[in-house]
Amino acid sequence: MKKVIVLILLAVVAYYLVDVFSQIKFGENRFQGENVRDFYLDKSKNDLHVSNSVTSIVVNFRGFDTLGEVTVLFLAATALGSVLYRRKAHGEAVLFNASTIVRSGAHLLFAPILLLGAYVFIHGHLSPGGGFQGGTIIATGFLLMLLAYHDYKVSHGVLTWVESLAGLTFASLGLTGLILGKTFLENFLPIGTINDLFSGGIIPIIYIAVGFKVGAELTGVLYTMLNEKEYKKS
Amino acid sequence: MNQILEILGLILIIIGSIFLFLGALGIYRMPDVYNRLQAGTKATTLGGMSLIIGVGLIQPDWFWKSLILVIFIALSNPISSHALARSAYKSKIKPFFKGKEEDLDAYKEVVERNENN
Repeated sequence: MKKVIVLILLAVVAYYLVDVFSQIKFGENRFQGENVRDFYLDKSKNDLHVSNSVTSIVVNFRGFDTLGEVTVLFLAATALGSVLYRRKAHGEAVLFNASTIVRSGAHLLFAPILLLGAYVFIHGHLSPGGGFQGGTIIATGFLLMLLAYHDYKVSHGVLTWVESLAGLTFASLGLTGLILGKTFLENFLPIGTINDLFSGGIIPIIYIAVGFKVGAELTGVLYTMLNEKEYKKS
Repeated sequence: MNQILEILGLILIIIGSIFLFLGALGIYRMPDVYNRLQAGTKATTLGGMSLIIGVGLIQPDWFWKSLILVIFIALSNPISSHALARSAYKSKIKPFFKGKEEDLDAYKEVVERNENN
């Protein structure tokens, strides 16, 4: 019985694989005389109204790829957490407290750094930068606080929630395009005027989600690496 | 007006590059951590600040952004070098004492006194 079910499932998978592959015209020029570069540049300017064509390629034309990259980051963070969970701490990572100058400086710089990170990922479709870069900047802000304050706590629950919600936003935006009768991650929102903050359809929303996700993941990684001791106790 | 601003900006950029060069030379030439930190930080703080202000003067659209950058450098650069120097001192890296052995004794005395406290 089990073997029959497996065979039927395999047949279904094989049928759809053959069906999909038979529709692809291998070896033909599917860009009607243009090359891929011109196609991307033309489409990102005229069909998506995104002034930063790198962003439109990363998030829209190759958005599926980016979803995979975000998943790789998530897996790396999880794996690091699980490896460090089992490792025994050889003495303390922090030898002495940071001085008052460092602490007050970190306190002063923390908010501007978060603001810069948010600026970078919100303007990802207008200027160089984007979700990955902005998220990393946010994580450096948290690293500064972790280095300055010995007892600075980041809630793992909140980090997991932010990460999961951001990932869910990304995937559900892609699925919404599929539900509305387009392809996965295809744009379905109004595209606005070029060089506006509210332009580019789903691209800014996806990049904001990526920014939150990367920031939360890297903060979690840094927090785990600095606070191995805490895991040993629990 | 624009001409004057451009010349002023270029002068500032040249001053900044000279200071950055001297900072690099200091890092190469100085004997120990503390001297290198001193040369590196002081020179890069002033050099970077005047370089960025110079760019802001040549491109007046960017002036306020460059001012924000200068404030950021003024806040972060001294603090980071302070943290580096403090951790070097705390991990007992000896300063450079060639030819001044009486200063070395004074340094050891201070370290011992700090440890006892």
